[in-house]
Amino acid sequence: MQKFASSLRRLTADGDKLGWCRHQCFSQLTQRQSSIEESESASAAAPIIPAFNNSSPLYVGPTADKILSKMQKFASSLRRLTADGDKLGWCCRQCFSQLTQRQSPIVESESASTVAPIIPAFDYSPPPYVGPTADEILRKRKDFLSPSMFYLYKKPLNVVHGKMQYLFDENGRRYLDGFGGIATVNCGHCHPDVVQAIINQITSIQHSTILYLNHCIADFAAALAEKMPGELKVVFFTNSGTEANELAMMIARLYTGCQDMISLRNAYHGNAAGTMGATAQSNWKFNIVQNGVHHAMNPDPYRGAFGSDGEKYAKDVDDLIQYGTSGHIAGFIFEAIQGVGGIVELAPNYLPPVYKSIKKAGGLVIADEVQSGFARTGTNFWGFQNQGIVPDIVTMAKGIGNGIPLGAVVTTPEIAKVLTRRSYFNTFGGNPVCSTAGHAVLKVIERENLQENAHVVGSYLKERLTTLKEKHEIIGDVRGRGFILGVELVTDRKLKTPAKTEIVETMEMMKDLGVLVGKGGFYGNVFRITPPLCFTKEDADFLVDAMDYSMSRL
Amino acid sequence: MAVQRNITNTKSLSYFLNPKRVSNLSSLRGFSLAQPPELPPFDYQPVPYKGPLADQVFEKRKKYLGPSLFHYYQKPLNIVEGKMQYLFDENGRRYLDAFAGIVTVSCGHCHPEILRAIEEQNKLLQHATTIYLHHAIADFAEGLAAKMPGNLKVVYFVNSGTEANELAMLMARLYSGNLGMIALRNAYHGGSAGTIGLTALNTWKYPIPQGEIHHVVNPNPYRGVFGSDASLYAQDVQDHIDHGTSGRVAGFISETIQGVGGAVELAPGYLKLVYDMVRKAGGVCIADEVQTGFGRTGSHYWGFQTQDVIPDIVTMAKGIGNGLPLGAVVTTPEIAQVMAQKIQFNTFGGNPVCSAGGLAVLKVLDKENRQKHCADVGSHLIGRLKNLQQKFDIIGDVRGRGLMVGIELVTDRKDKTPAKAETAVLFEKLREVGVLVGKGGLHGNVFRIKPPMCFNKDDADFLLDALDYSMSNL
Repeated sequence: MQKFASSLRRLTADGDKLGWCRHQCFSQLTQRQSSIEESESASAAAPIIPAFNNSSPLYVGPTADKILSKMQKFASSLRRLTADGDKLGWCCRQCFSQLTQRQSPIVESESASTVAPIIPAFDYSPPPYVGPTADEILRKRKDFLSPSMFYLYKKPLNVVHGKMQYLFDENGRRYLDGFGGIATVNCGHCHPDVVQAIINQITSIQHSTILYLNHCIADFAAALAEKMPGELKVVFFTNSGTEANELAMMIARLYTGCQDMISLRNAYHGNAAGTMGATAQSNWKFNIVQNGVHHAMNPDPYRGAFGSDGEKYAKDVDDLIQYGTSGHIAGFIFEAIQGVGGIVELAPNYLPPVYKSIKKAGGLVIADEVQSGFARTGTNFWGFQNQGIVPDIVTMAKGIGNGIPLGAVVTTPEIAKVLTRRSYFNTFGGNPVCSTAGHAVLKVIERENLQENAHVVGSYLKERLTTLKEKHEIIGDVRGRGFILGVELVTDRKLKTPAKTEIVETMEMMKDLGVLVGKGGFYGNVFRITPPLCFTKEDADFLVDAMDYSMSRL
Repeated sequence: MAVQRNITNTKSLSYFLNPKRVSNLSSLRGFSLAQPPELPPFDYQPVPYKGPLADQVFEKRKKYLGPSLFHYYQKPLNIVEGKMQYLFDENGRRYLDAFAGIVTVSCGHCHPEILRAIEEQNKLLQHATTIYLHHAIADFAEGLAAKMPGNLKVVYFVNSGTEANELAMLMARLYSGNLGMIALRNAYHGGSAGTIGLTALNTWKYPIPQGEIHHVVNPNPYRGVFGSDASLYAQDVQDHIDHGTSGRVAGFISETIQGVGGAVELAPGYLKLVYDMVRKAGGVCIADEVQTGFGRTGSHYWGFQTQDVIPDIVTMAKGIGNGLPLGAVVTTPEIAQVMAQKIQFNTFGGNPVCSAGGLAVLKVLDKENRQKHCADVGSHLIGRLKNLQQKFDIIGDVRGRGLMVGIELVTDRKDKTPAKAETAVLFEKLREVGVLVGKGGLHGNVFRIKPPMCFNKDDADFLLDALDYSMSNL
């Protein structure tokens, strides 16, 4: 492979030309692969070629045919070497990634957006998929599943397999997962340690409830408590973030004897009877009674009335308590970085004064760490630690189990006591399988230094996105930290007009290039980048290059 | 302890002893068992357990887990392995599981086919959410809809029964445009802000606002004021609608056999009358099948079918996944449409692993003919329990159907005084003999017998003998 690469380098003195060769060879392979499997990936590769021809009219190097014949010769010799076609695919990917890495200084230069970026190499072949096709699934979804179930992309993606930070569609095409199943798959898809822990546990006992003892739930609770500051030592396990927030709100109400809760505009905390009240985006709030929740101004540094002045927003909370409540409240609930709301970081210096106001009014402070927890922010294990406060209750879900249905509430022994007044029970909560998986997740995060990786690679990714903002007017804001990043698109930087249609187009193009990201914010104009924490620097480059390339073609 | 050791030591003897013969002798001739009965033989050796012991686990639980976590038995049991209808403790001692992790392990603990389905899916893709397509959720929804009567064809997957009932209630309110919900006293429907209102047992209701919920008289044939007269109970519902609401309601929700409330069947014919009234008042009818679904009642696949009604919304959880965190709401396309008004999303709901597990459960239940099995074993069990009732005054009531059975213990049959202390003592004794049952009812004086559906006649006989033995030695 190296011999081939170096001979290619000799053939093309100019790096750009090498990039072109690489591009040609990739698209050829894509086409070849698609003819074997299906035509969908061909449509993804198709727009690349005209775009290139337009931007490189002065090419004087070897012709496509010449290179192609070399490629074919090389490919056929490889094919002889490896009887299995899958392995060939892998070898070729390896080869291109080597080239990609060699090329990266050029890719980062202005000309990056003229060359379709290539997904980093990954030493893995997905098992062949023999299940139903996207169309069949779509038909069944329409017949048997909720009409409120939506999907991304004009032609929705049939994701059949996942491996670490990559997903595979029905044709075996690989995508970089920049969304992590909505900030959920923290260790990486089907991480071997987590899968092994689950498989080991299901063969001994899956479910017996907490009526009997079992060490899994106790061990996991102890390990989770270990990750918590202060007196936060008592854990309640649930099955989701909604359940966790429902429980947290009830605990706050019971502990204080007050009903009034304060949450932030643009928050998402769940969709059950209590949590829908705390959620504060009209498109997630159905028209039913949602009493007892007051929504304070959102300390959004980009769109908020007071910019980054955290103390001014904090004053609004105090005002709300003084005028809108009896002066005594049950509590305050917040996401350290708003997820569904479009990765909005709370203005600096906001939480400390709010914490004081809440305490003065007798309330409890609840940190919703459903998206920002488990090392995702890089700088800290929990999002709230980035503003230097210790909440009374912490709720979590998503990343806690790497995709296993699991949620948790952690609080102090004193506050936890209120639940002994009556019975609280959760059938599945903390069952042996989910507990074991959750425990495995904690160990993987630690052993693989994923927090450090989120910090280093996340900062690099944010830096590159910030640089991209200088190039593309449409990027209004780049924000977040670690691997919870947002890119807000606007058609007018001054008016901050949401670029609703442009974001959809960009997202489609990125998908065609092989990058999956999320979308959020009240206007749906924010890219949410919350990948598995094993995301590499090469992945980050690929993601930014794909965004650059796509935005250049808007 | 002496009894326990005795059993452990003589475990091998059980292979040579036909428990059926013992049980027949005792029931036919009216003898009390002098010796504790033996577990039916089971050709399986548990894996040696090397994990932390009960005391250590208990210490950790006390330190790190919520104080509302309660446990069964004075000396709580450390359950470390399960195989079909049996559980194993840390010493490798086998127990007959007659409670199935609270009516949850439908196919049997660690059923090999379900494990295989989970294992395969775990290796391929665990989680991606419904923003992309995946066949597992669609196949499972189709499989579940096929089990439903009428136009109940649209499935929402959630993670628990609480979440399912929350969603059902939301749909009822949106679809009807009304607020008031009617629920039965003695019901359990969940513990979140909306469902805690529906739940109607004071021990489960924390003092927080519970919304507009009306609790009607429970049509409990044993303790209810109108006995088994469904029409009188139904009249109470109409009365409540006329006087306690605007005359328009959002809906009515009930379990068909109340689970937490102590395996209480509704008076026969009740639902048919009430569904008519509720629909006339603009409401939708919700059947909570969290405990009664999936063939457990024997005569039918769903509990509501025993009352010959078709609900507008059906909720389920527990048995749906054999222990996997999974719940579902099934409704008609027309009602489902209201959820398209806004965004409704569930991160884990219907994820590939749970969907593959759930579909495997449906297949296993069909393949192993579990519904018919529940009917056969259930009628055998209930028949023998009724005989036992004649022998022991403490058994006030035997009820239920299939493998969803309740035994209510009273100190006085006429006053129906709950035999709380005696229930607790018997509960311990049963464990010592090797049977794990559940406990329920507002007064905690009802044994709940809801084993994995693979529970067989030998198991039933053993359970009966254990009850007989324990009651004789009370």
